Amino acid sequence: MRRFRGRLAVALIATSACMAARADVSNAQYWQAPGSSDREDYIHEPFPPGVQIVQTELDGPVYADGSGHTLYHWQLKNLRNGDTGDRKKSGTSACTNEVYKETSGMQSPYPPGFLLPELDTRPSCDKLWPPYVAPDDAKPVGKWTIITRKDGAKQWVYDDYPVYTSSLDHQKGDVLGGTKIEKAGGSGVVRTPIGPPPNVPPELKVEAFGTGHMLVDHKGYSVYYSDADSPGKSNCDAKCQAQWKPVVASDTATARGEWSIVVLPSGIKQWAFRKHPLYTYIPDLHARTLVGSDVPGWHNVYTQRALPPPKEFTIQDSRIGQVLADSHGKTIYLYNCTDDALDQQACDNPDSPQEYRLAVCGNGDAKVCRDLFPYVIAKAGDKSASPLWTVMAIDPNTGHRAAMNRADALQVWAYRERPVYTYANDRRAGDADGDAFGEFNGYRNGFKAFWLRDDFLDNAYRR
Amino acid sequence: MAVSNMMRYALGAAVGIAGLGATLPASAVTVMASEGESTLANHTIAYVLTERYWAVYENKDSKVDCPDGMNDGPREQFKKLFPNDGKKRTVMETQLAREGYQWHPTTTPEGFPFKEVQSKVSYGLNLDGKVGQNDFAGPDGEQGIDNQLYRVIGCIANYRTAGTIYHFENEFMRRYDNDRVIIELTGVDSLKNDPDVTVTTYRGLDGLLTDATGTNAIPGGTQRIDMRWGKDYIQKLKGKIVDGVLITEPVDRIEIPWGVTFNTSGYQVFRGMRLKLKLTPQAAEGVLAGYVDVDSFTYHLNTSWSTHHHSYGQLSSPSEYRAMRRLADGYPDPKTGANTAISSAVTVKFAQVFARHPPDSNTLVTRN
Repeated sequence: MRRFRGRLAVALIATSACMAARADVSNAQYWQAPGSSDREDYIHEPFPPGVQIVQTELDGPVYADGSGHTLYHWQLKNLRNGDTGDRKKSGTSACTNEVYKETSGMQSPYPPGFLLPELDTRPSCDKLWPPYVAPDDAKPVGKWTIITRKDGAKQWVYDDYPVYTSSLDHQKGDVLGGTKIEKAGGSGVVRTPIGPPPNVPPELKVEAFGTGHMLVDHKGYSVYYSDADSPGKSNCDAKCQAQWKPVVASDTATARGEWSIVVLPSGIKQWAFRKHPLYTYIPDLHARTLVGSDVPGWHNVYTQRALPPPKEFTIQDSRIGQVLADSHGKTIYLYNCTDDALDQQACDNPDSPQEYRLAVCGNGDAKVCRDLFPYVIAKAGDKSASPLWTVMAIDPNTGHRAAMNRADALQVWAYRERPVYTYANDRRAGDADGDAFGEFNGYRNGFKAFWLRDDFLDNAYRR
Repeated sequence: MAVSNMMRYALGAAVGIAGLGATLPASAVTVMASEGESTLANHTIAYVLTERYWAVYENKDSKVDCPDGMNDGPREQFKKLFPNDGKKRTVMETQLAREGYQWHPTTTPEGFPFKEVQSKVSYGLNLDGKVGQNDFAGPDGEQGIDNQLYRVIGCIANYRTAGTIYHFENEFMRRYDNDRVIIELTGVDSLKNDPDVTVTTYRGLDGLLTDATGTNAIPGGTQRIDMRWGKDYIQKLKGKIVDGVLITEPVDRIEIPWGVTFNTSGYQVFRGMRLKLKLTPQAAEGVLAGYVDVDSFTYHLNTSWSTHHHSYGQLSSPSEYRAMRRLADGYPDPKTGANTAISSAVTVKFAQVFARHPPDSNTLVTRN
């Protein structure tokens, strides 16, 4: 009935046809092929012995310890009623061995002093985020310095913030403790992986999108390349340049690594990346858009992108852009959660307390929660080309991780080891009505759609 | 067509320049306004939404509207439920219980009294053509005004002129292009009287044209019509113009983009929505009225504004939901007989705009 609610529909395109056309995610613009060698280049800066650089799928090059465990910062951020995290150049770490028992009240409107869940097993901050310990004879190098913790241990500091590993990371290349994708305003004070600066000219920046690292100019506007150009040569004539503005390099700029210089007939120097001359799209109204890539033959530019999600997934048009969806076209949702203790522990993964999620999606009832935000069930033996996507066993009643061979466990798709969901009240392919469900618009304890493209807001590059 | 659009754009620019001129002499503005008559071209004129407020009639003395004061919000209710009495409570039985209650509202009675507005006067329209005992009188004395939503929200500070929602829902509508509402009138012979016009709603893609202050919307802007992501917002209404006032017939169901901030892109669902707008070549102003879907309204409130923001204006979402359910007066559920929608009104202002349709939009499609 909703399908025929009086909209002007001179011609209808059947959903099935739309979905069929969008069913194959493997060749989509959002991901790179599994065989692609695209990796983000970085500036080589000195770092201490024992530190290594690991190339990761979503977050590009990150610093890691000798075992390959990714290194993180916990930078200060203000919440509604206060702030927490490490202060720059403070010489101390705010992540200690104290086990917080009560809420801090920093997240308005609720007052402080309420007992946190699962107190008997609640870890301290430094158990979840072990400080990256420096040897007693460690010497500062480059941006790396050393502080002494309260227990006398030495801790590495990078760029004036203390450095930690994450208890969530198990193997080299895991970045499960956080991402470089910026958090949105309502989120908690989260941890972010650290890495060497991207090797890009000063006129450009790298923006961490949900599916890759996109190049933008210094004002944040998207950068594009054209199939009509030749390697290292621009074929953009005057008519083309009415819409596409070359990304200008300074007179003194020189080629380096994947970056080269194209000299235009006017004598102006233009940056080229991987031999593609670069442009901005003059009609772009907003920064960080994909709008120019709607023009045939033109593409956004990424230093690297994630690998495709599970093959059964689809891409769907929604009200403000495109979303990742399951095989039925139902939008995929990610769950965000940070608790209200001073150490801001994550509650967004199945090894953390589930009381927060169950409260918003089920009013405390696991079945209501499962019915409203069902897990995305995986088929036996399902695998994804992308290590970001895995099949996880979940206890349906607790929401916690279960043994893979447990008979009553649900086998569900997980992204970065967090189950993903659909929303029962999304009726049609591309509906994303579950977006922003939960505390602080879904950023604090709630659900956000897996936005791939957002032509109006920041959803594609804020989580 | 292209030439026509260019001419329109040029004229729009001229009108826009006039709008810039708070310092222009009145005579100059008058000249520009008369030129605006040609904004009706090819029997078509379009307007873009520039102001939008839930219609809350406020007497000079708020005691007339709300003799017992404003309703409690989340902070006040929380304090009453969980007083600072030294008792240790868990986050589950307090904060998370209240959040769960908010996201899963019920009509089960609660301990908090709800203060309905006591004013006898309200903005809005007579939606059902009757004069009932619960109806309001309009400010002009018209009887039978249906606006039970006003009865619910009239004593919630957030919706009154000093309230956060009142101010910021309008500001964010102007700031974010995903909220750009266009109405295009076609088949118009005259903006004074025409017995048969068609009004099509669209979403526009562009920012509002404003004067040099950046805050005052002015006519003459250009809006590209969103035929890609905005298909759900395309709706056709039949109407007439009587003495310069557009009156449309009710449309059974319409979705209107109503995003706020924090990356939200929500929408409101109206049943039986109709427009009553005074038209000029430069602007349209009046009321958008209909029955707003109770569940969708509450869901929009919760997904668009956090409990923190509800607290700014003493707005308890669960209490409001309960009151809306109790006072709902339209669109009964065929199974339960309970009304699913509540009469409401939104005061609106539009500025004339030149609508640019994409070249291949002759065939309109919707998401299925």
